[in-house]
Amino acid sequence: MASQSKSRWADDEGDQALSAQRKQEKEAKKRAKAEKQRKLEATGTAAPLQPSQVNGSSAHDISLNGLTEPPLKRRRLSPSPPPDAPRKLLRFFASSWGPCRHVDNFEKLNHIEEGSYGWVSRARENATGEIVALKKLKMEPVNDGFPVTGLREIQTLMACRHEGIVGLREVVMGDAMSDAELNLTIKASVFLVMDFLEHDLKTLQEDMQEPFLPSETKTLLLQLTTAVQYLHDNWILHRDLKTSNLLMNNRGQMKVADFGMARYFGDPPPKMTQLVVTLWYRGPELLLGAEKYGREVDIWSVGCIFGELLTKEPLLQGKNEVDQLSKVLQLQKMHSCSLIRIVPKIFELLGLPTEASWPGYKRLPNARSLRLPSDPRMHGSVLGGKFPYLTTAGSSLLTSLLALNPASRPTASEILAHPYFKEDPKPKSTAMFPTFPSKAGQEKRRRAASPSAPKRGEAPKIGEGAIDFGGIFAGREEEEKGAGFALKLI
Amino acid sequence: MDLTSLSNPLVTLDQLSSSSSQLDGLSTELENSIRFGGVQLTEAAGVLLRLPQEVIAQAVVIFTRFYTGPEGGSFLINPVKDVSAASLYMIAKISAIPQTPRSVLNVYAYLSLTAPKSRMDAPSDRQRPDPESHYLTTGAYLAARTTLLQTEAMILRALSFITKVVVPHHLALTFLQTLGVLPSPPTSKSRALAGRTISHLNTGLFSPQLLYLTHQPTALAVAAIYVAAKEIGVNLPCSEWWEVFDVDREELGFLVVGLGSSRLWAEQESRKWVEGKCPLTVEEIMLEMERGREVQ
Repeated sequence: MASQSKSRWADDEGDQALSAQRKQEKEAKKRAKAEKQRKLEATGTAAPLQPSQVNGSSAHDISLNGLTEPPLKRRRLSPSPPPDAPRKLLRFFASSWGPCRHVDNFEKLNHIEEGSYGWVSRARENATGEIVALKKLKMEPVNDGFPVTGLREIQTLMACRHEGIVGLREVVMGDAMSDAELNLTIKASVFLVMDFLEHDLKTLQEDMQEPFLPSETKTLLLQLTTAVQYLHDNWILHRDLKTSNLLMNNRGQMKVADFGMARYFGDPPPKMTQLVVTLWYRGPELLLGAEKYGREVDIWSVGCIFGELLTKEPLLQGKNEVDQLSKVLQLQKMHSCSLIRIVPKIFELLGLPTEASWPGYKRLPNARSLRLPSDPRMHGSVLGGKFPYLTTAGSSLLTSLLALNPASRPTASEILAHPYFKEDPKPKSTAMFPTFPSKAGQEKRRRAASPSAPKRGEAPKIGEGAIDFGGIFAGREEEEKGAGFALKLI
Repeated sequence: MDLTSLSNPLVTLDQLSSSSSQLDGLSTELENSIRFGGVQLTEAAGVLLRLPQEVIAQAVVIFTRFYTGPEGGSFLINPVKDVSAASLYMIAKISAIPQTPRSVLNVYAYLSLTAPKSRMDAPSDRQRPDPESHYLTTGAYLAARTTLLQTEAMILRALSFITKVVVPHHLALTFLQTLGVLPSPPTSKSRALAGRTISHLNTGLFSPQLLYLTHQPTALAVAAIYVAAKEIGVNLPCSEWWEVFDVDREELGFLVVGLGSSRLWAEQESRKWVEGKCPLTVEEIMLEMERGREVQ
């Protein structure tokens, strides 16, 4: 028994009590068995092999030569657990594989939208009548076969079973792919069959008069962060988190979709492309050309989405990589101003990265061509002006999510534990969410101008020559300043 | 409980009881030999491409899955070489070390000229074939690339895009550490144990019992540890330690026999064919089938 509890790497009082109890039970059993054996012998019949004896027999019975005929009564070679307490082993759910079904099993109802990696339409499965979303993968005519982005999207989505992540039911194919067998050209049409959700957060926000309430914002952010936590725990980077990729149903549940950029990563991170994440949600390390990055890029996007949820407007709408970076740096300056008393180093350089605040940033490929302003000028915190209704805890969360140095951003688990979610107003229950008319269910969506996810190919270099960021804070003196007064509402 | 990162889809009873190749008239024995030859080819190509064994093992499992079941591929229709190359190319593409079609096809062109026996050895200058002989001209390359990409699409369709393969190698090392038999710094015995465990896992890829298709990675890892510990003479806990890793005794028993016999089977297979040249092309397989009929 002692070896039994040792092998379980736990030897606390509960275990000891349990093992004592087992010992007692075993002894009782033994006595009962001896009694039974005696009775059997008395009647002259041979004892049949007890199934419990097979289970309880030791490792030594297994040999490379297979099992020999077990003796009727076996000697115990090692302490074995009481046969009457079968341990519950974890059984894996084993799926299987088979050829893809044909897309004709689904009836297309209406077109929903065109994403950067495919066309999505609403469809009904003929056999079951269930409404699903069909996403047709874009097959670029490239010479390296099935697009790796598509393979990764399917692989990562298949691995994810989480309430905060859109469910991939199966992959179906059109006719063209089967023509590959007939030695025709590969003009594949591959469709992902996914759960249908009524809204995406971006379109929903565009149609709303007012931004989400603080309690709703908290629920949405919590749902997003839980999904991101699940992904990161399973070594998946999403790499394209943005409001148009967050789907919502009419029950207030939000699900992360579009895994066209997602991939598995490792620790240490493998070399990956910097051409990920839609520009407005792209972290500074990616803008500076980092090829080794990790979970932090998703966290930055979460920060951008948080800001967007508060105002209904994307937080950092850069026109191109350089413009985006300058917007990021300007924002950082706003942060730094609110952090003056805490971090004098940031104060000196106005929140622009320093070797101390972001070790190693200067070695990033695009950092060399940057000229950062050396003349620190002081202004009031713009962050406070931008989000007048955000509480202190809320701003501290937003500030930490949008930290320039990837290492100082919180992990998904740390976000979930943030006091912002504990303070009033409490996150709203998803059941209490308002419902909205679904555009995806009825009519074609209008395409709003926002940059699409980066395309595969050569990464644009940020400025072959020097780029002057010296002027980004210039002219602030001329800006209109209000009375510096805002009524804080919750 | 969600454990997709630890589990694989498994073969169904229907898929085990029949296969496309058998429906095309191939005997089970010859089918096993061809599969063995195909796995050998994939391993050799992976080694020449300097891919890590984790990637090669995944490609081998994809290769094996493709030819399994009545709805899978047939050795008489889908050439082994093409499926092997496409499996390796596709798995490498989603790994951290993608390979260009050119390098994959170059390697297979080279391998088609070398006897399986000498594939894995470092070629000395004497036995190195003339580079001209396995050079892929632009025309040949373009044709081979089309076949490669078509085969890739075919594999994806047959497997309904399930490309994720969890291999047990890293699990086995974690389990060994958990069992406390991998001390730091390592002793010669613990090194031998770890090495032997990994060897058994790699041998299992060749098994005619399709162990990687019938059992979850945890079970394979536990069984490999069990066999290796017996061979090296390392004492593992007396209690039923495998249950800690969620493997029951019956499953372990089956796998121990399976892994133990894989080696004998592999040796027998390499003796069976002259220079280890088991038939792999459709023509060779047809010839071999005819020879088999004549013998009868």
